[in-house]
Amino acid sequence: MRLTRSAGLSLTSPWILTFGLIWAFPVVYSLYIGFTDYRLLADSYRWIGWANYTELLGDPDFLAALKNTFIFVIGTIPVTTVLALGMALLVNRQFPGRSIFRSAFFLPSITSMVVVALIFTNLLSRGGYISFLASSVGLDPPAHGFLYDNSTALYAIMAMDVWMSVGYYMLIFLAGLKSIPDELYEAAEIAGASCGRTFFSVTLPLLRPVALFVIVINSIKSFQVFVEIFVMTKGKFDTATAVYFIYEQGLTTAFRIGYASAAAYVLFVIIGTFSIAQFLLIRRKASTW
Amino acid sequence: MVGRRSLISMGGHYLALVLTAVVMIFPLMWMFRVAFALPGGGLDLAVLLSADWTIQNFRDLFVQANIGRALVNSLLVGGAVTLGNILFCFMVAYGLARYRYLTNRLLFATVLAVLMIPMHIVIIPLYLLCLEAGIYDSYWALILPWLVNPIGIFLVKQYIESIPPSMEEAARIDGAGEMRIVFRVVMPLCKPALAVLAIQVFFTNWNSFLFPFILTSRDSLRTLPVALALYQGHQAIDWPHLMAGSTVAVVPILAVFLFMQRHIVSGITAGAIKQ
Repeated sequence: MRLTRSAGLSLTSPWILTFGLIWAFPVVYSLYIGFTDYRLLADSYRWIGWANYTELLGDPDFLAALKNTFIFVIGTIPVTTVLALGMALLVNRQFPGRSIFRSAFFLPSITSMVVVALIFTNLLSRGGYISFLASSVGLDPPAHGFLYDNSTALYAIMAMDVWMSVGYYMLIFLAGLKSIPDELYEAAEIAGASCGRTFFSVTLPLLRPVALFVIVINSIKSFQVFVEIFVMTKGKFDTATAVYFIYEQGLTTAFRIGYASAAAYVLFVIIGTFSIAQFLLIRRKASTW
Repeated sequence: MVGRRSLISMGGHYLALVLTAVVMIFPLMWMFRVAFALPGGGLDLAVLLSADWTIQNFRDLFVQANIGRALVNSLLVGGAVTLGNILFCFMVAYGLARYRYLTNRLLFATVLAVLMIPMHIVIIPLYLLCLEAGIYDSYWALILPWLVNPIGIFLVKQYIESIPPSMEEAARIDGAGEMRIVFRVVMPLCKPALAVLAIQVFFTNWNSFLFPFILTSRDSLRTLPVALALYQGHQAIDWPHLMAGSTVAVVPILAVFLFMQRHIVSGITAGAIKQ
């Protein structure tokens, strides 16, 4: 179309500004500041090279935070993915009341994380509902509640995260299921394939790109888990995650901006590597069909 | 005819559905029940069997804890950010869809790139930026950074590209100016996409905690999620009030969801699958 370049520029200017100030600048600035000893209230700061990074590698709090983050990601993602797929299959076929169930499954996903975290703090505390359930099936709940125990706190938060996010990924799987042509199912039926066989030979292979997509976006999100940790445990009881560490170092008491930025970059590189690896996997898998 | 086998499988299907629904809904029902419980309780099962309901908790929140202010803040900030996104995402999307210069293609690449950048890298620089710009701890910090978002641009751009340019050509032949074409001809055509965008942005903003929390410090600027998260901090845990506050934060979202379910679902899947 023959439209002027200046009109195009003025239309896209909101994005140019936002991209520059909110995205490009922070990504570059974090890198720079991570090589300095910048503290918020100090008069000046100087370039200290890799010192922040070497300190991070020897900081037990940071290593614990990384460990917790990996536990969180590796523990929640397979469970969320499998449950989301299962729920999508449950509500995929036509039956009376389908849309009601679908909405019910999706409701937790539109609730604020703070609210969800508060509800589960209640349910998980000593004398709370989940402790009651645990003891009624013969399990021994932690004496001070699930969130006040090093061995259960992180796992309890992970379970809550699965509960909250599973409905969202169910919707994505549903859209994927809809895109599978009916002819394939008809062909499977004519060939006399059982339900299980149809699922493993038709549904699952065709859902692979959707599943990998779900895994990629869920892992980018889960690597950055913060809000539920802040609300439920404030990082105590061995639940501090990488972003919690960044927050605590950079934006509370000591305001070690430089150190926190270096930590943020370590996480940035980890997430980047993970995403690129997963994308390569998607592309390879997609091209073999 | 319905055979015995299929009856059993149907029963199993409904059983699985109902069990899952109970697990998914119970915590929200629990919140709702505790919100109306008498002060002092709200932790053990007694509350489920109790016949006492009270709206005192809500009254306390609005009168003493000033949750009304947080509610107004959430509505104000959410409204401003949503309006901003409708306007700016549309403008940018139109620019990217219809002005095909090389620089624009690069610009679209930045939109896609940002979809992949993890937000956590932004926390500290944005905090410093707001301090530097003098907007830390003001409404501007809650609004200005979020007026346009990459998913929104992507969504609206897809939609504009599905509209044939003949309408714009006709208006141009009639002598309409460029801005008139953009805002009077194309924008009304994009209403369905903009509705999906508006709901998505409002929901995200309404529920967001991290950035409102780090970019403000004054009590009077707290949005609902921030107020709730910090309410817990300075009082002994007082479940009925806390759950009443949570109910205030959830009910508007629930209402919008129930009325506009179709838009929401299509927005989520459109945003997700097409990436």
